[in-house]
Amino acid sequence: MTCRFSYGRIAHVLLWGGLAVASLWVSIPKIYSGVTQSPLHSTGPLHTCDSYLKFATGASVAAKDVISIFQSTTASKRIIIFTRKDDAFSSGLGLTAAYLASPHLVRLFEINGTHPDNELSKMNPDEVAAVVFCRINRPTWLPAGKVFGSGLEVVSMSEKVRR
Amino acid sequence: MSALALLGAFGTLFVAGYGLLTLLVRRETRFSLTEQIAFSWLLGTGAVSLLLWIFGLLVHGALLPALVSIVCLLLGFTGWRRMVPLPVGSAPKSFEIFLGIIIVIEIAVVFYLSFVHTLGWDGLLNWEIKAHYAFANGGVIPATYFSDSGRAFSHPEYPLAIPFTELWLYLWLGEADQFWAKTIFPIFYVIGTFLVVALGKRFTGKTWNGLLMAAFLFFVPQITVEVGSAIAGYADFPLSIFYLATIGCLFCATEPKNDAFFRLYAACLALLPWVKRDGLILWIVAAACGVFVILRTKRSSRHFLALFPGLLIICGWRLYLSAMHAPQAAADFLPMNLETFSSHLDRILPLFSALLAEFHNLPIWSLFWFVVAVGVAYLLGQMRNPGTPVLLNALFVPIVLYLLIYVFSSWPNYLEHVGLSISRLLLHVAPVGFLIILLAVSRRRVKSPAPVHERGVTCTMAVSERTPVVELA
Repeated sequence: MTCRFSYGRIAHVLLWGGLAVASLWVSIPKIYSGVTQSPLHSTGPLHTCDSYLKFATGASVAAKDVISIFQSTTASKRIIIFTRKDDAFSSGLGLTAAYLASPHLVRLFEINGTHPDNELSKMNPDEVAAVVFCRINRPTWLPAGKVFGSGLEVVSMSEKVRR
Repeated sequence: MSALALLGAFGTLFVAGYGLLTLLVRRETRFSLTEQIAFSWLLGTGAVSLLLWIFGLLVHGALLPALVSIVCLLLGFTGWRRMVPLPVGSAPKSFEIFLGIIIVIEIAVVFYLSFVHTLGWDGLLNWEIKAHYAFANGGVIPATYFSDSGRAFSHPEYPLAIPFTELWLYLWLGEADQFWAKTIFPIFYVIGTFLVVALGKRFTGKTWNGLLMAAFLFFVPQITVEVGSAIAGYADFPLSIFYLATIGCLFCATEPKNDAFFRLYAACLALLPWVKRDGLILWIVAAACGVFVILRTKRSSRHFLALFPGLLIICGWRLYLSAMHAPQAAADFLPMNLETFSSHLDRILPLFSALLAEFHNLPIWSLFWFVVAVGVAYLLGQMRNPGTPVLLNALFVPIVLYLLIYVFSSWPNYLEHVGLSISRLLLHVAPVGFLIILLAVSRRRVKSPAPVHERGVTCTMAVSERTPVVELA
């Protein structure tokens, strides 16, 4: 009986020991690359938004400036955000802008192409606080807004909109 | 200043949790320090987030954190008067000290990773967004947020345990700070390791077993470095820790008359749907396991009241969403009815193939699921103990239910939907997989639990009486 118990015990230890070593063998390279490939980011209150904006547009510490534009507009009006279909960067920028636009209500438009003239022409400018273009071209008839890096432009409607 | 504020936020949270722990345990059972810390954190986050939500229906502004703090301190005062007894300590062995050092290093790495990464996409846009907006609105999420179709992407219908724990930090800090909000998530990792160590000791009677398993948590990439891991600010990892606590407590509660663990099970169970909407599925499974344990251990029918707090939270949150005119149906899924199910039955086989592919996705899971399968094979011969079917069902049934939900996916390519989310769903049950491995490694012959007469004796002590000589005999 003792002998059987010992064989069983040895097999048990070998099995679990082997599984443990194999697991470590597979995991360690992945964990190591995860630990060593992480650049240090800023530590500000909006550091995640700043990082996203920098990643998508190249602009540094931009979140606070985007917020200040939204805050300078009438809170009861909507922020309109244009993003491009099938463009993950544009979509990400749009959602980040929507996050920063509080307490305004927002409306997201995902369009084909890069020219939102059709959608914009149907809007009543009196109901819009600002228009955000995420890797979308601003129509030439709309006054220039504040540009952040490459691909993000915020046009505040407090400026006179002419067509 | 930030450090003091964080200390205040975490201190009140732990104090509230400890108070609740003492109320639930009632000095009936000894709890190790790691268990006391772990349950204090879990109960504290649940209590503070619920209090912020409930009091937020009545007041806002400076009065809200003041009221919640007062309740936390009152709970702490209760805890101070009826401290949970600690077990008699024994000197740790050198191997245990070695494993302990490894775990401390791993925890330090998880904190480091958490600070050098940003919040993940969902961490920001599904969870932190709610804390941020609530903070800017005096501690209450603005009503317009729920009805704003432009912010439907952020899932206003998701529950508030994680966002309102972040809000609690913001209220103490005096500003919404995405950097400090991340501190919550490595703490959940610490709590996870503490629970695995503590449950390991309770399940097997040996501390080193639990320490060894806890050390291996770190080596599952989905837990430490992948999308949705413990460092990303998603609710999935905290949910998995709540589920671990729920199932671990239920396992311990299979021992007759161990009502302290049954009450803890009920408390953790109630919080599952409050952490994430998917927690509802885990709640259903864990509740069914609870019903099984009540019937199998012939407990009185009053134990069915354990399901009541969870039902209350589920219904309360639904009512709140209705009152706020928030969308409650998930946009990613078709209407869940028999007709849709039968017309999409052809998806089942590809879904199972996708699940199998996920199980051997080594960069994400390493050999974890293979090791779990070996552990399950070990336990299959021990189904007579009520704890074993509890563990196996707690692992498998959520996986099957999660998979079946994709039958209703509204995505044009439903397999893409699976590919994007299945690893995070499997994460919910992964810590329970560790419990299964733990039992298998320890080769514990799970016996039908014998009645425990002596007050304060727990499954740990009952098991630790089995010496190698007894085992050999």
